[in-house]
Amino acid sequence: MESRAASSAIDPAANSGAELIDQLGTVLYIGGAAIFVVVMILAIYGVYGKGRAISARRWLIGGGLVFPAVTLTALMIYSLAVGNGLAAIGTSNALQLFLDCFGLGSTENTRAVPDGVLRIHVIGKQWWWEVRYEQPGSAERIVLANEIRLPTNQAVELVLSSSDVIHSFWAPSLAGKVDMIPGRTTRLRLQTSQEGTFRAMCAEYCGGQHALMALYVVTEDPNEFNTWLTRQSQPITAPTDSFLKLGQDAFFKGGCQSCHTIRGTPANGTVGPDLTHVGSRKSLAAGALDNHIGTTAGWIAGPQEVKPGNKMPEASVYTGTELRALSAWLGSLQ
Amino acid sequence: MPAGKIANRHKALFIATGAVVLVVIGATAGVVLLLSGAFSTAATKQHFRITYRILEQGLKYSVASNADDIVVPDLDRVADIDVGHACYREHCLQCHGAPGVAREPLGRGQLPSPSSLAESARDWPAAHLFYVTQQGVRMSGMPAWEYRISEQGLWATVAFLKAMPRMTADEYKRFASSNTHAQCPRPTTAGEYSTERAQIMLRQYACDNCHIIAGMVGPITHIGPSLVDWRERKYIAGVLPNTRENLVRWIVDPQGVSPHTLMPDLEVIEPHAEQMARYLMAAGE
Amino acid sequence: MVMLAGCAGDGESLPRVSGGDAERGRVVLDRYQCGVCHVIPGVPSAFGKVGPALDQYAQRPYLAGKFPNEPETLVRWILDAPSMAPQTAMPAIAMSHQDARDAAAYLYTSD
Repeated sequence: MESRAASSAIDPAANSGAELIDQLGTVLYIGGAAIFVVVMILAIYGVYGKGRAISARRWLIGGGLVFPAVTLTALMIYSLAVGNGLAAIGTSNALQLFLDCFGLGSTENTRAVPDGVLRIHVIGKQWWWEVRYEQPGSAERIVLANEIRLPTNQAVELVLSSSDVIHSFWAPSLAGKVDMIPGRTTRLRLQTSQEGTFRAMCAEYCGGQHALMALYVVTEDPNEFNTWLTRQSQPITAPTDSFLKLGQDAFFKGGCQSCHTIRGTPANGTVGPDLTHVGSRKSLAAGALDNHIGTTAGWIAGPQEVKPGNKMPEASVYTGTELRALSAWLGSLQ
Repeated sequence: MPAGKIANRHKALFIATGAVVLVVIGATAGVVLLLSGAFSTAATKQHFRITYRILEQGLKYSVASNADDIVVPDLDRVADIDVGHACYREHCLQCHGAPGVAREPLGRGQLPSPSSLAESARDWPAAHLFYVTQQGVRMSGMPAWEYRISEQGLWATVAFLKAMPRMTADEYKRFASSNTHAQCPRPTTAGEYSTERAQIMLRQYACDNCHIIAGMVGPITHIGPSLVDWRERKYIAGVLPNTRENLVRWIVDPQGVSPHTLMPDLEVIEPHAEQMARYLMAAGE
Repeated sequence: MVMLAGCAGDGESLPRVSGGDAERGRVVLDRYQCGVCHVIPGVPSAFGKVGPALDQYAQRPYLAGKFPNEPETLVRWILDAPSMAPQTAMPAIAMSHQDARDAAAYLYTSD
């Protein structure tokens, strides 16, 4: 099940921002360890070794001034380069951006994002994620929730914001954290060559269910991705199976349309996640549950047990059969 | 110190120790008796005479004390003997018999044996008869009829009980064969709600025989689901959303809600079901 | 391995699921997130109130209020409850037969 999805900063996806960070980390760990060992040897030698006159000044200036200055300067340049590398994913003017850090770039606005980068708007809400894909040549965005899919080997920019409190987007295997601040827009660039399922989570305490605010980021072959995105943009078709029809009717009987949108039906509520293709997602309730008929039924019938205090009310209105039908219908919305 | 004072203190200690030892011996004997199963619970073996007298007299004292505040209405005016007989025939005849009519096998193997009412119905005050019929007698085969016969029906039964000892066998037979239309009235209302009354109802309908219910002393049973904290459950019988109305509906007609369910139809009247449902949804708050 | 619950009564043996591994069953119940609807002792995050609690399951004479509580019946119920009780809220769970046996075996050992 999806609980095995990679979410480790020390197990980054290939050729991703997290890999750059991990490499920087490795350099720091190894370098720091080496310096630590040398200093410890010197300290032990200083205590137990045979006394020998040394040139204090050489050691002080060499070890205390020159060595740190050199290594720290090198580290600074390296870490700035890493930061720049993260910010420059998908741009062709990385060098310009880098030189900008030192005021050596041109005066033109080198931060302009070139076309061709896939841009996805992610809005943090208590305690779920609204996701809107920009489409080239159209002002309309493809709306979904609680899942992000990306094509491999293509730069993607997440445009992050929040509609209530501060959240933070963190996919440890893909990149570092970026806060999502109400009233502001922040950006995070992602790219990787590795196909897989990665788990992202909220990294800024945002209320009672912060721990259960997560989502899956799925990277796949560009063709598969395009197929998926096209399907996500389409409305659903009416069910022909009578059991699924019962489920669709149950959706409206329970008043779910007042909070949820399902394109292809009259439901257009915006308080809760868009459910148009909820059956295709790898999780429910923002990463809190796997997605199958059992968990769907359990979530609908008892959301306050799964995520106490979340904004989905308990609906004590469905008979047993209606609950199953509704769960089956939602699962059929692939 | 004077010799007398020392002796008194020793005496007191001796008596106290002796008392404690006796208590311990008595308790141990009781436990041994209980665990060994030496005390017979068989209905075939008769009591010791002293036990029998204590139980019999104890019943009379208890009934007298508890039935004290029952106000007896003018039975001649308000109680219909035909109705009373209908109740007697439906509910009492099986164990108590009637003039010239044997009790059914159900009433023949019991200890205590259900009394042939010729004497007690004649001798006991009406208030006492009403009390025993309404409240039953624990640890005997006499059920409580409070929730199955209306109060009017109970008084009618008492009136019949008062008349019955004066009938010959033939008179009773004629009476019974001509009394074909009277019905024993069931309760139609439930009175004011209280947790105590709701618990009585739950016991009277034998709910605690299959379900563990909060606040009630009864068997630890797993036949039906535990009803403790029932308020938190989302579904009744996996079929209906758990609301008070649906719970009432379920109690009154389980088979209608979920065919083939093992929960039987206990002929619960709706006012009783409402109070029991209220209790179950509230318990634990 | 069936651990006898303390109050098994007069030593009658508890139900056994042939071919079911209770320890694997606990993992199965966790993996399929049965706890979304049921309280199950020993399974993490199993605190749902949609369905009945599944503690002391071996001591219950009846399953789902309709059937005798027997191992094969429980396995069938786990796999396809609606086929046995058409109005039930419990859906058919797409798991392997072995998984269902293991889950049933665990339920019969739970306190």
